[in-house]
Amino acid sequence: MRTVTELAGTGGPRGIFDELSKREVRRAALTAVAVPGYQVPFGSREMPVARGWGSGGLQVTLALVGPGDRLKVIDQGEDGGVNAANLRRLVVGHVGCEEETDTRRATLIQSRHRIPETPLRADQTLVLQVPVPEPLRAVEHDVREQRRMHAQEDYARMWVGLYEDLVRNGVVTKSAGYPCMVNGRYLISPTPIPRFDVPKLDQAEHLTLFGAGREKRIYAVPPHTRVEPLVFEDVPFEVEHTPGAACRHCGATASYLVEVPSMDGAVAWVCSDTDFCTRNREVR
Amino acid sequence: MSWALKVDGLGRVYGEQGPRSLPGTGPEHGTSVSPATGAVVAAWDVGFEVAPGEALGIVGESGSGKSTVMRCVAGDERPSRGSAYLSAYDDGRTDVLALDDGARRRLRIDRVAVVYQDPAAGLDLDTSAGGNIAERLTAAGGRHFGRIRERAAELLELTEVPLSRMDDPVRTFSGGMRQRVQIAKALANRPPVLLLDEPTTGLDASVAAGVLDLLRNLLERLGVAAVVVSHDFGVIEMLTRRVMVMQHGRVVETGLTDQLLEDPQHPYSQRLVAAARG
Amino acid sequence: MNVLEIRGLVKTFTLHTIDGRTVGALHGVDLDVARGEHVALAGSSGAGKSSLLRCVYRTYVPTAGRILLRTSEGTPVDLAALPDSEVADLRGRELGYVSQFLRAEPRRAVLDVVARAGAARGMDPEAARDSAATALRRLGIDERLWAMHTTVLSGGQKQRVNLAAGTISPPRLLLLDEPVSALDPVNREAVLAMIADLTDAGVAVLSVFHDLDAIERLATRVVVLEEGRVAADGPPAAVLRDSELNLEVAR
Ligand SMILES: [Zn+2]
Repeated sequence: MRTVTELAGTGGPRGIFDELSKREVRRAALTAVAVPGYQVPFGSREMPVARGWGSGGLQVTLALVGPGDRLKVIDQGEDGGVNAANLRRLVVGHVGCEEETDTRRATLIQSRHRIPETPLRADQTLVLQVPVPEPLRAVEHDVREQRRMHAQEDYARMWVGLYEDLVRNGVVTKSAGYPCMVNGRYLISPTPIPRFDVPKLDQAEHLTLFGAGREKRIYAVPPHTRVEPLVFEDVPFEVEHTPGAACRHCGATASYLVEVPSMDGAVAWVCSDTDFCTRNREVR
Repeated sequence: MSWALKVDGLGRVYGEQGPRSLPGTGPEHGTSVSPATGAVVAAWDVGFEVAPGEALGIVGESGSGKSTVMRCVAGDERPSRGSAYLSAYDDGRTDVLALDDGARRRLRIDRVAVVYQDPAAGLDLDTSAGGNIAERLTAAGGRHFGRIRERAAELLELTEVPLSRMDDPVRTFSGGMRQRVQIAKALANRPPVLLLDEPTTGLDASVAAGVLDLLRNLLERLGVAAVVVSHDFGVIEMLTRRVMVMQHGRVVETGLTDQLLEDPQHPYSQRLVAAARG
Repeated sequence: MNVLEIRGLVKTFTLHTIDGRTVGALHGVDLDVARGEHVALAGSSGAGKSSLLRCVYRTYVPTAGRILLRTSEGTPVDLAALPDSEVADLRGRELGYVSQFLRAEPRRAVLDVVARAGAARGMDPEAARDSAATALRRLGIDERLWAMHTTVLSGGQKQRVNLAAGTISPPRLLLLDEPVSALDPVNREAVLAMIADLTDAGVAVLSVFHDLDAIERLATRVVVLEEGRVAADGPPAAVLRDSELNLEVAR
């Protein structure tokens, strides 16, 4: 018979995340799936990653990933960034799963700023790292009051924030982390993804798990769940789009494009999703 | 049913809740503090009905329990005992004091509105006048920006706030103007019951007179059932037709407002009226 | 048919703020007023005339006795025992009161005061404004004053505005407490004529006038009060001739 301690594994060189912690994260994740959009507290651990680099996402990933998985990690849409590569290697080294950059082949994708352009399938899971999970922080600092507002579905002040934004600026200025209602019940902040990616969460085929390490919260958007950005009926939700802009590399106009400095000083655009861009070039 | 709001046997005790806290308190003992337990019997056995279009006054000095009654009915505080019914909620069959916090809070959206003495208690001062009203409208499900703007403008017009100030933060408003915005917000979803807690206290006399006139006109026009808590007989006389006098947590007299002023019955009422008459 | 029947009305004041002593104002008054009848109360000051009117209106709380009002629905109600809210409901349409006190509603236009009184009695707001204008014109309130606040009015003007407000959409029982005390002869004539018309239209009137002439012209019956009791009750000519109060009342 083995002891609980043995089951949990030792804190050796590869034991960055013990079995008990994984189980706690899994339990929280299951609760999060059962109550879409609800922020489930969990006992977040110290992680060997740079501050602000997604210790919450990493814990969720570590709790889910198995040796048979193919893990894709992106930072700002890129697989090749130093942070993304380091994190990927950390998990792969710990679990022994495969590294993957092709969105289509990945079984588990961890990201912060983007949801891949290629639509995800039911057999894929997206883990988003969340720096600030609480959408109500914009209008209320008191944590107990935030909880009450969630419990009573009292989101009027979020609407007031939207109203004030429209009155002051003529448009809704909130871009990254646009507040959304999940399943018509809980308000979430979908991490720093651009508005462009918000529709990808709505009635998606895949499961999205949100992990916030510092705030010790996990929440989820299960497959086939309504995700509706807070918008007034008469003020349409608009995603980022620059008319006339096209990717310098692949020519895409409908992907999420980011500005890059170019030699001649003119504005140039490229796909933020490098995997998508590469494949798009091959197609052409 | 002839009432819009009915309150029965309302009591609020701070401290030990048991029956030991009651003896020795009340007007005949000159205190609301229990000699046995030290509990404060802030309100006890308070009951009243208010009809649509009617305003009931609650007068008394500070510590009489009038504001406690108001807060309990408003849902800002949980009473120790008693019940309250709204004809606009489940046809008056459900004791709204027994509802959970969330349900109580929702009553405040469109069933019972409160205007506090301090506008900051009912408003977010850093939000615009229109935004404050939008809070109530979106809480009631308003999701159309244009219609929210329209309704906010209509309410500000009703409460005589210049429309040019609609998008200014309430913090930049004068005291009287803030109070008008608070009234506009309270009326946003046409609540059948309106609770006014010292609505003009603290304002300069001329400003208070303007707010009082506004309230008088609104109460006449809107047909709401109102409860007006005030220590000021001028306010009570102008706004209410019936009145309840409280002392040391108990109701010592109820009557028609002119009757209370001309022929007060209880010794305490007589003292209050004599003091008010200078 | 009696609109008002008072039986055994007692009113005692307990002065808690002085020494708890009691002061009697009415000591068992019986009195009837029929439809279309104008009963004038006479008596020296302090005899209880105003107290009687106030008990009927419930501005004073009757100490004992019954005050039966036969409402337009035909059912008699005891004003002495009726719950406050029901008394409040009767005020206006069934029970009107025009006080001698020149209390004007603050910061409200003259026409508004009268029209709102009509609207409060269920008149259509437009019709109420028309009736208010007619009443004010009849009572000699200059049209230029109509939009002004009542506070700027003279005592006599306030009195007439109060009367206009109290009689628009006439109540079933009208209580008048010295409604012409502050008026000059011309305006006094207008007011007396208006009150006479109300009686002719079937309104039951219970009044207190401080001048004998008004009583003689308007009253169908006079009830003399002495120290809170009815001392005489009968036709004006007979009562006033027999009463030693003649001089007292006239003065
Ligand atoms: Zn591209």
